[in-house]
Amino acid sequence: MSIEITSLTKSFGAFPAVNDVSLKIETGEMVAFLGPSGSGKTTLLRLIAGLEFADKGEIFFEEENVTMKSANERKAGFVFQSYALFNHMTIFENIAFGLRVAPRARRLTKEKIRERVLSLLETIQLSGLENRFPVQLSGGQRQRIAFARALAVEPKVLLLDEPFGALDAKVRRELRTWLGEFHERTRLTSLFVTHDQEEAFEVANRVVIFDKGSIQKIGTPEEIRSGKSNAFVRDFLALDI
Amino acid sequence: MASFIDFRNPPGSDNRADRLIRATSEPLWMRRLLIGIVLAFFTLFLALPLIVVFQGALAKGLQTFLSAFTDRDILHSVQITMLVAVIAVPANAVFGIAAAWAITRFRFWGRALLLALIDLPLWVSPVIGGLIYVLLCGRRGYLGPWLQAHDIRIIFALPGMVLATTFVTFPFVARSLIPLMEAQGCEEEEAALTLGAGGFEILRRITLPKIRWGFFYGLILCNARAMGEFGAVSVVSAKISGMTNTMPLEIERLYNDYLFASAFAVASALSLLALLTLSLKSLAEWENRRQFEAGQRSLLEPTIETLLP
Repeated sequence: MSIEITSLTKSFGAFPAVNDVSLKIETGEMVAFLGPSGSGKTTLLRLIAGLEFADKGEIFFEEENVTMKSANERKAGFVFQSYALFNHMTIFENIAFGLRVAPRARRLTKEKIRERVLSLLETIQLSGLENRFPVQLSGGQRQRIAFARALAVEPKVLLLDEPFGALDAKVRRELRTWLGEFHERTRLTSLFVTHDQEEAFEVANRVVIFDKGSIQKIGTPEEIRSGKSNAFVRDFLALDI
Repeated sequence: MASFIDFRNPPGSDNRADRLIRATSEPLWMRRLLIGIVLAFFTLFLALPLIVVFQGALAKGLQTFLSAFTDRDILHSVQITMLVAVIAVPANAVFGIAAAWAITRFRFWGRALLLALIDLPLWVSPVIGGLIYVLLCGRRGYLGPWLQAHDIRIIFALPGMVLATTFVTFPFVARSLIPLMEAQGCEEEEAALTLGAGGFEILRRITLPKIRWGFFYGLILCNARAMGEFGAVSVVSAKISGMTNTMPLEIERLYNDYLFASAFAVASALSLLALLTLSLKSLAEWENRRQFEAGQRSLLEPTIETLLP
């Protein structure tokens, strides 16, 4: 699903978190929002998910204007940095949640739900853990469960907020590779927020660099590295390349 | 009165006390001294009075003790106490959840004021809590003439006692939930929202299960206070034995009538109710820990991750 954002603005009090941002994301792309903390990238992701509402501007999913739609109508798959798993539910119930709360008319049967949950566990290579509780899993495992939970409802877009931020370097690299392969296979339109350049350049087809709520540069990893950059982008990229 | 409620560390939030003790171990004499002081204080102020109450109740033998509970007026006071609690506690449960939800999930004008107002019943004397309703609904109160014209009796009747009790027990549920919900944040609710759940589904499947122990704890405190309240209820009750007396009021009447054995018998029944709530609370905490430990045990089984490279 393609996403189009037109002059989106969001302020918290006097602080402009997202300032007049326009952006078009094509179906099947994997786009990274890169920038220092406080640059507005997470706020933009939350605006797209419907977890925040814009002061100005519009958001389109394909042709549909979803600006005023709530998060549960937009149903963008969202993966949180801190996983946000339901700690009082088993892994099985966590992944099944989105299927269980679906409107009765569209709800799958119990057998179908079970089938889908178990096949998702297989996809994320965690079969056999369905009766565990989230606290019993490692960080990397929890993040994969969070993926599976988001994917269970078959979203048309996947939004990832610093998905590997809380993980150690090794697990981070493994999951990053896994995510890249997953995207290759499914071509699910995906946006992810990161402050790690290596991560952005390795996984994404396109990178959007943010600072102070505005887009500083957009392009493929090659274009970002080679093309003309403003002072901020030069400084930011020089940090660890 | 409220000092025994640990507002910063309600059950359900992770308890840091255990770790703290180990990290900052004191010399042996200091520990013994502190434990000694606590035990002495506990004996003098908590255990001894409880023993005295039961002793007083049984002073004239089991027969007299039991006969107190065949007295119609006394039985009626037990009924009234239960009835008041049965109305006030659910009302405050609903209010408590709503207030905690509003305060922790939204930033709105007047939020700080609401937070302060929730505590109001803890600051003011319960007698004032009762007087408020007399001034409001009494014969010469603001609503008095209207109520009289419609033949509604609030003061010196059951509705007034329920109102006063609700006022006094107002903060307990909300106050147990606010720090807990603040600490838990709302990411799980947000996750549920992006998975397509509606507001009611989120409340039922995510929020309520998350706060259930803190909620239960608040309910128990609220109930204990509702059954034991004296000051506020005594102002709005007509104090007619067999009509509008709750157990605490009945205890006072019996005591003033020199019916010590009966007074202590009712007091011991009230204490038993308190002990019952206390054991319910302990049971809840114990059950909570048991579930947690059961979860920890299954951690020992090999997980997929330890089998994979």
